[in-house]
Amino acid sequence: MMQSSPLNFRRAVIWIGRLLLGGIFVYAGYSKIFLPNANLWPYFILKFSISMNLSNFATQVEAFKMLPPWGVQFVAHALPFTEIVLGLLVLIGWRLRIWASMLTVIMFGFFFVVLRAYLLHMNINCGCFATPEIIGLRKVLEDAGMSLLAVLMTYFAFTEARQPHPWAAGEARQAQA
Amino acid sequence: MEVFSDFQCPSCRALFLTTNRQLMDNYVTTGKVFLIHRDFPLPMHAYSRVAARYARAAAELGKIEPVERALYENQDKWEQSGDVDGTVGAVLTAAEMTKVRALVKGGTLEPLIDKDFALGTMYRVSSTPTTVFHSKGQTYPYSGAMPYETLHQFLDQLLSQK
Repeated sequence: MMQSSPLNFRRAVIWIGRLLLGGIFVYAGYSKIFLPNANLWPYFILKFSISMNLSNFATQVEAFKMLPPWGVQFVAHALPFTEIVLGLLVLIGWRLRIWASMLTVIMFGFFFVVLRAYLLHMNINCGCFATPEIIGLRKVLEDAGMSLLAVLMTYFAFTEARQPHPWAAGEARQAQA
Repeated sequence: MEVFSDFQCPSCRALFLTTNRQLMDNYVTTGKVFLIHRDFPLPMHAYSRVAARYARAAAELGKIEPVERALYENQDKWEQSGDVDGTVGAVLTAAEMTKVRALVKGGTLEPLIDKDFALGTMYRVSSTPTTVFHSKGQTYPYSGAMPYETLHQFLDQLLSQK
């Protein structure tokens, strides 16, 4: 009979990381595309809503004063969709090491820009979700915590991959016997 | 179109200086769109209510256009110094300014601003600028500064709806 893999600390961290970070990334992407302007029908209204939401997000990206105009537009139009896709892939868990590594890099990017804005006393919105959220110490600590979780999830995903799977290990023992 | 705006908000400034100018020329003056300005001074901005009072007073004298432009174009100056009076005074004559000051001090403008604010609250306005489109019995609220090209496409489709 097949047994489920034993839950140890590493696997628990991977599960928490996948559910929490994957979920947050999907919601963050969704909120940038579909909120706060949520008029969805007919099609031209939906198109205008999405254009407005991405335009609002571009304004928030621009407020960080880190990118040229083309860079602002690129990030504003690519990041929300990337967040959704990456979040879903991490939630699914397929090829976790690749997507977890990418998520960690992006998470560190967020942490860096938020920390920079905080240290420069920039009175701006984070732009993380659709609701206005001024960058403060709490936001910096939240991002630091999520970055740490992303690192642990990725590290443990790699170390777990080196361990023989419990099912495979059991089959190997049976084969030896 | 009802535009709920705050004179101290940077996005409202961007909307006024870029999109609204073209909107006025292509849709408002041609009678395709009615544009209504609504005051929605956010509590987080120290001088936006003061600016709204001056703009309202100027509107009573038929001088809203130069005053609105002066307030938005010099936003970064008066939001630092708080000198709304000086900013408005720079585009009006001394006689007009005397009348504007009297209206601002008279207290009759405050209920009008509050009325706009209450209307915005009814539409669930939480940030500025928020534009509420009314067309064929439907209401579409949108928050944020919209680029003219996007607005132009949207308005054309909205106006062509049967």
